[in-house]
Amino acid sequence: MKRTKTKPSYNKYGWIFISAAFLLYLIFTIYPAAASLIMAFQTAEGGEMVFAGLDNFKRMFNDGIFIQSLKNTFLYMVIQVPIMLILAMFIATLLNSSILKAKGFFRTSIFLPCVTSLVAYSILFKMMFSLDGIVNKALMSLGILDAPYQYLQDSTWARAVIIIAMLWRWTGYNVIFFLSALQNIPKETFEAAQVDGANAFQIFIRVTVPQLKPIILLTAIMSTNGTLQLFDETMNITQGGPANATITVSHYIYNQSFVYAPNFGYASAISYVVVFIMIILAIIQFSVAGKED
Amino acid sequence: MLRNKTRFWKRILTYLFLLAAVVISVFPFIWMLTGATNASVDITRGVISFGKNLKENWENLQETADVLRVFFNTAITTFVYTILAILICSMAGYGFEKYRSKGKNVIYAMFLISMMIPFSAQMIPLFKMAAKVNMLDSHIAIILPTLALPFLVFFFRQSFQAFPTELIEAARVDGANEFVIFFKLVFIPMKSTFAAAAIYAFMKQWNNYLWPLIVIQSNEKKTFTLLLSSLASAYYVDYGQLMLAIVLATLPIIIVFLCMQKQFVEGIVGTSK
Amino acid sequence: MKKRIVSMVLTAAMVMGCVAGCGSGSGTDENGGAEDNTITVWAWDDNFNVAVMKEAAKVYAEKNPDSDLNVDVVSLSKEDVYVKLQTALAGGDSGLPDIVLLEDYVSGKYLNTFPGSFADLTDEFDYSKFLQFKVDAVTQDGKVYAVPFDTGATVLYYRIDLLEQAGYTEDDMQDLTWDDFIEIGKDVTEETGIQMIVEIANDKTSLVRSMMQSCGQWYFDKDGNINIKDNEALKAAFEVIKGMKDAGILYEAESTEGRAGALNNGTVASVVNAPWFMSSLKQAEDQSGLWRAARIPRFADIPESINASNVGGSSWYVLENSDVKDEAIDFLKQVWEGDTDFYDTIMLNQGAMGSYLDAYETDVYDAEDEFFGGQKINALFAEVLTEVIPVNYGGYVSEANDAITTALSNLFAGNTDIDGALEEADAQLANQLGR
Repeated sequence: MKRTKTKPSYNKYGWIFISAAFLLYLIFTIYPAAASLIMAFQTAEGGEMVFAGLDNFKRMFNDGIFIQSLKNTFLYMVIQVPIMLILAMFIATLLNSSILKAKGFFRTSIFLPCVTSLVAYSILFKMMFSLDGIVNKALMSLGILDAPYQYLQDSTWARAVIIIAMLWRWTGYNVIFFLSALQNIPKETFEAAQVDGANAFQIFIRVTVPQLKPIILLTAIMSTNGTLQLFDETMNITQGGPANATITVSHYIYNQSFVYAPNFGYASAISYVVVFIMIILAIIQFSVAGKED
Repeated sequence: MLRNKTRFWKRILTYLFLLAAVVISVFPFIWMLTGATNASVDITRGVISFGKNLKENWENLQETADVLRVFFNTAITTFVYTILAILICSMAGYGFEKYRSKGKNVIYAMFLISMMIPFSAQMIPLFKMAAKVNMLDSHIAIILPTLALPFLVFFFRQSFQAFPTELIEAARVDGANEFVIFFKLVFIPMKSTFAAAAIYAFMKQWNNYLWPLIVIQSNEKKTFTLLLSSLASAYYVDYGQLMLAIVLATLPIIIVFLCMQKQFVEGIVGTSK
Repeated sequence: MKKRIVSMVLTAAMVMGCVAGCGSGSGTDENGGAEDNTITVWAWDDNFNVAVMKEAAKVYAEKNPDSDLNVDVVSLSKEDVYVKLQTALAGGDSGLPDIVLLEDYVSGKYLNTFPGSFADLTDEFDYSKFLQFKVDAVTQDGKVYAVPFDTGATVLYYRIDLLEQAGYTEDDMQDLTWDDFIEIGKDVTEETGIQMIVEIANDKTSLVRSMMQSCGQWYFDKDGNINIKDNEALKAAFEVIKGMKDAGILYEAESTEGRAGALNNGTVASVVNAPWFMSSLKQAEDQSGLWRAARIPRFADIPESINASNVGGSSWYVLENSDVKDEAIDFLKQVWEGDTDFYDTIMLNQGAMGSYLDAYETDVYDAEDEFFGGQKINALFAEVLTEVIPVNYGGYVSEANDAITTALSNLFAGNTDIDGALEEADAQLANQLGR
């Protein structure tokens, strides 16, 4: 691809093309974001917002729940994102296999979870993992458990349930991304590797993964972003419990804004810390992806 | 012989694994569908078979809310949003990609960074703004703030990389107007990219929750997500009625995906380059 | 060329402007001026609060056939009401309803944080005609800010058939202490294999709250100071709940759905809850006649403790800057003060128990309920209500509930003992409230 600079005479058309988006973006993103950045340095006093310097940021260091929520969020990210992406890549490879029939059926079915309504899916997960839920019944009939277990009451298991729920909902979505990228890799590439005597796993590592690199980067950034903004699942399935074991940063921001006495200044400050972390992570992801080229 | 045998087992394993994935993925939908035909008490008791309560659930739901109105509201906002969002974002993506300049690159980077700001942090200033221009409780207020969707701009820019710049230059030599080039020359071959973007925008708006919640004030303007949320939060929840509402809210997305899935999968290809 | 670009941009701007303008047209009557004759109400629960307010609107329309006043009850989830209200109050004065339903537990927070946003109703209603503890709950600095609505008279709902299997009768369930209750529970669980009582795992505070108020204690003292680590009633409540857990008689449901399911399935023998909980129980039509209700147990060691308490409940607030403030107050006055027929209707149809004292004298409160084996259950509620000890809810109950739930989880997991759990909760709450 040629990346030549645009000739100046055409440059203005470029500006026209982006003008609508840019205008909307200035009004509906930049302005509110700036306004909330100001709020991050304010605190409410008797209904008025007053300047508070770095108080909101200092408070975070002593806020056990905030630190816990940050830890939880990272835990989800470190565990869930890689599992999901590997699983999605694997399923996509199977779906792309030439021996498979009824591809459309499999593709559609596996994509379905991400269109479910959140309300339905959270009720369902709560019911599945409840004391007399289907998970306990299945494990007991298989003889793995003697008595029903309270998954959502155990901090490790509650986190696991959140991760399972996210895997269920988002793996199929990522499969579609990988699948479309795989379809773009010429069949000859795989065939050449097969002729060289590589087994399926070797082909996957040596041929598939490098070819998928741009889409891996894309899905990784999307998923990291999604995890850092994770809120719906913990809010609806565990309410952040037990003992804040599953609460995420976004969930905590929501609590600070709307559940507890409104503390918009503190909530904004936390939001900006999250933005800062995400930018750093994105830079790391880009540079890792860039280096291996 | 040996090779055939391993092939056979490979095929069996592939099918088994995928079937398991399908069962896990589809199970909640079966549950939802059966739930819509059952009485509330059977749903909490864990019944997963079709019941006889569909008509009653429908009548109850009708009594609770004007479902057709809610459906119409959701459909119209989603439809208008999808059209405008792909128009605006595709133009922006095209502008960023085919008319590169330093200034535009800076703006583009800003777009990407803003993907990361949690929406709850922007809500109050946005609400104040909507109130000031007297746009509360209007469908346009639901649509406007998220039209310039950073992800779609990013998606279109990536996709347009695949479009040969030489073709554009050739058209310019022929004296074609820049906009004519975009709408006539670029749009048609990139159809599937637009389809993929449309599905993304459609899903996003159809399931949009927090912002419509904040700006919508009256029953007449409510969308599905708000209805589901209020149905699910009663002291005593009528799960039959709730499941039916969920089915009605989910079906359109499934239909859109079914109709456009081929283009969707093809359309994403562009971003992988 | 340049001209064409300018005209294109202008056209685009006009199109956008028109779209925006057209869309906002219908939005104006919400905040509009003189012609506005709609009272907008925000409430949650279509089967309960929303239905009740719609009934109130109907009653008002019948009383005032010439009035062209509309009441638009907007149904939202409870969480959504708070999110919207908090955003709108923080954002200034637009987009607010005229009347809003708030839980008594949290209303203090809004009155504190947004002073002057709610109308002072002290002189508008005759509050001596309402339950005292409800009026106290909506009073701040001597001013009354709401029309008290529903009450959460706490009772013990139990399955008589299961108790009889364990050798107990209805008489044995009267005037209990919590120690008695645990002993009975052990027998029931042993005889029937069914756990005695249900509580929601991630929100164990509903039992805690009713236990505390049965002693006239709360998370906060009369002056609003945190009252957790030295709260005798709270400590006793922790002991009882831990005792239930250790005795194996406590069923921890994962969610409200799980709780309803467990009760309807017959997996649990009793639940402590409010009048509105009847509608959940009554879903299991096959259990009709098997349920009874009794007064809740009290603490043996705390002299103030009584066999009556309250859990939850909410009230109607009028927004100070509403365009139709006077109409809204008049509407509430005509229906909610004095109309006992209205209270009868909502008790019969929605199981909503109001706070209006005269309403308790009607026939509805003398009715026998077949689901409860012909027991006069409404009379029981009314009896309980008049005894409830008022406490200062303090407005920060969500924060306190979260701290208590965390502490209880840690206690159950064996990470700490009762005193440790209480101290931890005290510290967490203090930190959360910035004290």
